[in-house]
Order: sequence, then C-alpha cells, then structure tokens
Amino acid sequence: MSGGCPFALDIFAEPAATDDPGAQFNFPLMPEGEAVDMGHAPDGTPLFDPRILNSAEFMRNPYPYYRLLRDHYPVFHDRLCNTYYVTRYEDITNCYFDDEGFNTIPKGSSSGVLGNTQLELSGVEHRRRRNLYGQHLVGRSLRNRIPAIQRQARGMIEAWERIDDPRVVSKSNGVGTVELGRAFANEFPIRVVCEVLGFPKEAQDDFYYWYNSMMSGLGGSQTHQQGLEARQHLEDYVEGIVEARRKEPTWLYDEAGNPISKDIITKLCETRVDGDFLSTEEITSNIALVVGGGGETTRGAILNMWYLLLQHAEQFEAVCNDDALWDTAFHETLRHSSSIGGQPRHNTYDVVMHGVKVPAGSLMQMVDFSANHDERIFKDPETFNIFRDDLYSGKILRSGYNRDGRHNHMAFGVGPHLCPGAWISHQEAVEGSRILLKHLKNPRINVGRMPKDIDGESLRPIGLMSVRELHLDYDLG
Amino acid sequence: MKATEVIGANGVAIPQGTRGSAGFRTYEVHQRERVGQSTEKIKPIQLVSPEFARNPYPFLDILRENYPCFRDWLSNCYWVTRYNDVTSIFTDDANFETRPKRWMLGLDNGGSNLGGEVPVLTAIANGIDGNAARLAEQAVSGFAGRGRADLAIEFAARFALELLLNLLDLPERDADRFAGHYLAMKRGVTWEPRLRQRGLEAAGELERYFEPLLERRRADPGADLVSAIATLDREDGRASARDLVVTLLELDFDTLHGTLANLWLRLLEESGRLQSVRDEPRFLKLAVLETFRHSTPVLQAMRFARHEVERFGRLIPEGGLVVCSAAAGNRDPRIFRNPDEFIVNRKDLCHREARGQYRTDGLATGITVGLGPPSKHPAIPEDRPRSAFAIARDTAVTASAVLLDALDDLQLEPGAEPYPVCRRIGEMHACWRLPVRFRKA
Ligand code: HEM
Repeated sequence: MSGGCPFALDIFAEPAATDDPGAQFNFPLMPEGEAVDMGHAPDGTPLFDPRILNSAEFMRNPYPYYRLLRDHYPVFHDRLCNTYYVTRYEDITNCYFDDEGFNTIPKGSSSGVLGNTQLELSGVEHRRRRNLYGQHLVGRSLRNRIPAIQRQARGMIEAWERIDDPRVVSKSNGVGTVELGRAFANEFPIRVVCEVLGFPKEAQDDFYYWYNSMMSGLGGSQTHQQGLEARQHLEDYVEGIVEARRKEPTWLYDEAGNPISKDIITKLCETRVDGDFLSTEEITSNIALVVGGGGETTRGAILNMWYLLLQHAEQFEAVCNDDALWDTAFHETLRHSSSIGGQPRHNTYDVVMHGVKVPAGSLMQMVDFSANHDERIFKDPETFNIFRDDLYSGKILRSGYNRDGRHNHMAFGVGPHLCPGAWISHQEAVEGSRILLKHLKNPRINVGRMPKDIDGESLRPIGLMSVRELHLDYDLG
Repeated sequence: MKATEVIGANGVAIPQGTRGSAGFRTYEVHQRERVGQSTEKIKPIQLVSPEFARNPYPFLDILRENYPCFRDWLSNCYWVTRYNDVTSIFTDDANFETRPKRWMLGLDNGGSNLGGEVPVLTAIANGIDGNAARLAEQAVSGFAGRGRADLAIEFAARFALELLLNLLDLPERDADRFAGHYLAMKRGVTWEPRLRQRGLEAAGELERYFEPLLERRRADPGADLVSAIATLDREDGRASARDLVVTLLELDFDTLHGTLANLWLRLLEESGRLQSVRDEPRFLKLAVLETFRHSTPVLQAMRFARHEVERFGRLIPEGGLVVCSAAAGNRDPRIFRNPDEFIVNRKDLCHREARGQYRTDGLATGITVGLGPPSKHPAIPEDRPRSAFAIARDTAVTASAVLLDALDDLQLEPGAEPYPVCRRIGEMHACWRLPVRFRKA
C-alpha cells in the first residue's frame, strides 16, 4: 500500500463495528441453558461481553451467563456500565451482612421516584426506620389479618362472574379460561397492602394506577415522567390522609369487628425520630416503598409459582394432595425464578475480592438470581423441584439459614435489609393459591395463548422477567 | 467478611471486626426527582448506541440543553456537557481524579508511569519536534506519485505511528511487530472483552520485547525515549521494561492521529476551507485549533469523585463517575457562536495555548482531553519542555504543511462520503477512511 512504510498499514483498515447500526446489543437467541460464545483467553477461560447483560437473549436465558460469571469472574467488572457484579451465594451473603462495608446508597434508581426510604439507608438511620415500619408487616397484628387476606382473595374470584372481557375470563364447552394476572395476581397484592396501610376503599383504583406508573417509571426508564407524576399524585393524596390521621387515628379490625391495632399510616403519624415527627414526604416515601416493594414482587411470585407447578405435573399433584406443600412450593419458586434480580450496594472502602480491586464508592450489584442458582449451594439449580433437600423453607430469618445442608434462598435478601414483607407475601401467595385451587378444577396452562420460546413451540422460559400473563383452562361445574 | 480483604483508602488493610458500626450512618445522596425534572428526552441506551458512535452530537445537544448533569442509570455515571462545567471538573483535582488507562485495561503488573519525569518529557518533545517534518515528507512521498491515496490511513495514522517508532528508535525490522502490539495494547483500554484480552497479551509481548533493548540502551544510551527511561535516576532503582510499557500505554498518540484525520476531513469537505489555508499558511494552525474544538477525536474523559461533592445541582457520591464530554462542551452555544460550524479563522476561539480554565485573551479553546488540562503557569516553566497540547498542535501543523506543499488539486475521491466514527463505543471519534485524488506538485 505504501512506499517504505515499515509496518503494514492494514492494521488501520478494519471497518467500524458500529457501521452496522443496531448491532450493539443484538446477540443470537440460544437454546435455553446455553450461552453465546463470547471468545476465549489463551488459557481457555471464556470471555464475558458486558453487552450481553443488556440483551434480549439475557432477559430470557440468563442462567448460563450467571454460571460463567460465578465460575470465572465471581466479581465481574463491567467496564461498559461502570458496575461490579457479585454472583456467588457466599460472597453475596457476606456483603449483605456487612452493611457498613457494603452500604445501600446507590439505590437512587428508586429514590428518584419513590423518595428517600429505608431501602437507601444504612446503619443507625436504617435501623431506626426499619423498626418503625417493619413492625407493622409482621407478627401478631398481621396474623390477625389472614382472614382479611382470604376475604380479599375470595372477593376477587367471585368478581370473575362480572368481568366482561374474554381476554381475561371466558367459558365454552364446559371449559373456563382465565388470565390469572389480570383476573387475580396483578391487583391482589396491592389490595392487601392498601388494606394494611389503611387506605379507604374508594382510593384503591387510583392507588393501583399510581403504583403501576411508579413502578414503570423508576429511574432511567422511558416512562420516568409518568412515574414522577404518579409519585406527586400519591403525595398530594397522602398529604390529606396524613393530616386527617394526625387528628383522628384509624384502626384495623378483625373479622369479629374487634380493633386489632392502629393502621400503619396512623402509627407513622404518631412516630417520632430523634424527637421529630415524620414529615409527609417521609411517610409518603415509605408508603411508596411498601407499595412498590409489595406489589410487583408478590404478583410475580404467584404467577411464577403456578406457571412452574403446572409445568411439573407430579409436583402440582403433590401440592393438591398435601396442602402443606404450598409453603415449599413458594420458596422453591422464589429460588428458581424470583421476581427481584438483586440489590445494588456501594463499597465504603477499597476492597479486593477474588483478586479484583474495587475502588471505594463503586456500584456493586449483588445478583440474587445468581446466588439462587449457585451450584455450590443448590444441587442441580436449574431444576424446579419442591422436594429438594438443600433448600430451607421455614420462617424467613434475618440471620439467614445454613444448617443440615439446607440454605435460605436469596429472593428476600438477608441481613439488615431482609425483606420485611417476606411473611406477608408468603401468606398472600399461599392463602391466595389455596383459594384459587378450590375454584379451579383440573387447571392446566392454555398453551395456545402463552408466549413461546424461540422454537415456536415450547413455553417461554421465565428468565429475568416474571410471567406477565398466565392463561389457564379449567373444568367448569 | 470472609473471602474479602478490606483495604482502606490509604492502602492499609483494615482489621476485621474493628469497624464500629454503632455510629455508622448514611444519608440521602440521590435526591428525589420532581415532576419537571424528568429526563425523558433521552434514553440512556442511546448513549451507548451505534448511532451515538457514528454521530454523538445530536444526543449531546439534548443533554447539554436539557440535563446539564444527567444521571445515566444504565451506565452508572453523570454526564457533564456544558463547556464551563466540563472544564471546571477537568481542573478540579481536589474533588475529582482520573484513573489511569491501566485500570481500564486491567493491567496490574506493578509498573509505573514515568511520563511525568522531566528527562522523559524532554526526550519526547525533542524527538517529535526534530523529526516531524522529515517523517511527514517520508509518509507523503509514499503516495505522492500515485495520484490517489487514503489520507486517514497513509498520512494521519502512519505519520503518528512513525513518529512514535522514531521516538523509540526501534530497528526497522521490528517496526511491524511493535506496531501490532502497541496498537493492540492501546485498543485494549476498553470494555470489549476480546480487545481487552488481546491488549493484555500485547502488553506482555511488549514487555518481553523491551527487556533486552532497555539493557542495551542503558549501556549505550542515545537521545531516544527508551534511553531516557533506561537511564532515569530514580530513588526506587532503575526503570524496568514494565515501567516503559505502562508509560507507553498512558502516552497519547491517538489525538495526533485523530486530529490529522479529522482536520483533513473538514478541509476537504468544503473547497473554500482548503483554499483558505493554501492562501494564508498562518490559517493552518487555526484550522488545527478549530479541529480540536469542532471534531475532537477523544470525545470524553472519565473523572471520579474523590469524595461526595455537590455539582450542578446534584450530589455526586464518593467514587461517582462523571463523564466529562469534551465533544459537548466544544459545541456549547454559550461559548461559541454557531458551534456546529467549522470555521477556519474562528473569531471566538482562543488562538494561543490556553491557560488555567481553558482560556487566553478571554477566549475559550477547544477541549482536547487526551492532551491534559492547560497549565496554570503564566508561561512555560524553564526546566520543562512545551506542553503536550503545544507539541500535538505544532506537529499537526508541520505535517499538514508538508502535505499541502506536496500535492496540488487535492480533492475527495468523487463519490466518497467520508465521516468520523468511533469504531467501538468509547473509542476515538475519527475519520478512518479518507480517499483523495491529487496531482503531484
Ligand atoms: C415475593 C415477594 C417479595 C420479594 C421477592 C421481595 C424481595 C425483597 C428484597 C430482596 C428486599 C431486600 C432489599 C435489600 O437487600 O436491599 C426487600 C426489601 C423490602 N421489601 Fe420486599 N419482597 C417481597 C414482598 C414484599 C412485600 C409484600 C412488602 C410489603 C408489604 C415488601 C416490602 C419491602 C420493604 C419495605 C423492603 C425494604 C427493607 C429494608 O430496606 O430494610 N416486600 N424485598
């Protein structure tokens, strides 16, 4: 090409990878469980392309990639998105317990919309608020609410008769078809949360709308504006309620009409931290958190549980025959296909983990999804098996569980930030399912209406996204 | 924590179990956003899209005019895009730091960057100044008789690399091997795993290559950069081949390559521009300065907050990444009139080397991040050679003058539509193909 040039000029002639618009995040869709080949180091170590984490392939088929990370890059530095991923169960557990070394500051993605909540606080600030709010979600006050949860579930199922939308509920030739999301799971957790919070019935529809908008409008999403507006409407609404409750407390009642306790908002109105009453902003933020934390997650758990059980007929049958198995089914569902991928943390100090130096203040994603599929903890992790003997499915503990070869799953996290809604969501999913099962005779997935995987035939894997719609057929009469 | 060794900010390991969590507290760092603060005019994914790599300016305009400190959730960073904001962060070493390229490459070999040592700086300045014209003539003579050429490859890229080879005084038979490794190492400073892997391998190859050479130059030094490093008199002993490789990694030759390619793209795009620098040789320097501004090859620099700091209405947490967009700042209409227009003799652009906050004579200069921030000294300190900025600018002028003299009727190959592009997101934004035809003068 050139006269007298001492090196070959074609080293500069490589075309730009970007000449192919759209190529950036387009990875081929692989059969479930297989990873795209992203290249290898000379010693055979597979390379990991961070773009995969933003690809459609990864959304539906994440687990082979998490396995690559666990095996070869337990702390992976994603240089494209300035993030470190922690993927092994034991490391994640350690980090969750060390809330000083790995604190919660970066959850700005939700704080941008929801507001400042206990989710973003650590240390003393966190402990004070955690105890204030958390106590209302567990213990006797809630055990007394189980009948109310059951009543909500029954009420929603009875209302199917009145739904005039064939995409949600339909009947023909002795077979009923129901889309379990719209007919039940989408709204049920929100209704329960509303009731616990003490929101008036009339407000529940608005509430559902605000909730949806806030959830879809979390930081960085296209519907951010809508999320911010919904948060503002929620605040305008809550402000009125808070003022009213400050003057006149309201109570929760049990079935017999006896007062159980004041509702959460009333209690928050009476609460002081360091001598100061909570501001409306703080109360609203935490309502937004309880709604945000308690809706989508439980919805996903219910739908995923039914989806998985119905694809494993013998396990479903076992649950039908033994009511107590719903508890293990719930936990195995959360292990196998949780509805929350993981939690961000910020390292307070420079740390070296698995030989990777992480400068202080870096964003470290604790990948709960991956912890739950860590073969160092759970045998054959990709298999859904409610009879597995390595999963703890008792009462969820802040201290975690690691005895007799059983471990807690990571779907509720562990340590100081352990989900305070673990118990109530468990009750919702299990009580709700028991009631559903009474109504749905011989339920089966209506395969025709469900989204398919790449082969066009088999059902789509859950991947990172909980089941959005679940169409079930059942026998009438 | 098990499995984890905790090292404090000062590099000292913190004993486990002694950190008093009792008094530990956090507070709100990310503020709640209000209606009206929505950033819906842009999606973070667009900032890592192929369209951005091709032409980032429309996206950067959106950021600069709407979200001066944009929280990018996807890439976990803050984008700063207004001229004064960008320069204020570049010059604020109390609150922000630049992490070395080595950190991005993941090259953890213990070598140190000697690029700040005066004998090294002097060897670089002398090596470049003394040879630029000769090497430019050599590159141009490679194609002058042919009537057509690709200026991006045969002139801009070749010249910058030959300058480096000459600086190192490598034997000609090693040039090809060195060039391959050197470019692979430089391209390894990326998120792309294959390129990174190749970059790490190349760094190892270079180290092996330089080991014996360094010894030979130590025994028999010349005026070149390898000799300067070999004979450095340092407290902690002699410089090693590792130090040399790390120094080369941090050295910036991309800016010269990219500036030349983009300069000639802009000159050839409009015949009037080329004519004006032919008519008035003084304008060539102004055209280079305008290229630094209008078509800066290094689009942005990453700065990290040393501690929590408030900037532009946002609280940036410790360790937070601030992407300082030189490209956006350089097109800031608050500073430059008609900023998207390439004007050879721009009246509102500083015509000398800027000082301090990127200004001289009250005029702003193009932000060229690869070349470091301007010196705060009113004049060049006597014991130091000229700045990287001045060297790159003058070298680009010298080489371009050679080209201009050697070729007549220089024009784009008919039908060619050259453009600048980042070959991958995060890489230099430069014109990689610039086919021209001409007559030999
Ligand atoms: C299956 C359903 C649910 C799942 C998978 C889930 C998951 C989680 C996880 C992983 C965390 C830990 C965050 C961290 O480590 O930083 C969390 C926190 C939280 N969850 Fe849940 N959650 C569920 C249901 C609920 C429900 C029903 C409520 C409320 C009624 C709720 C309220 C909260 C709150 C308030 C926090 C913040 C706790 C803190 O930061 O101290 N969650 N949740």
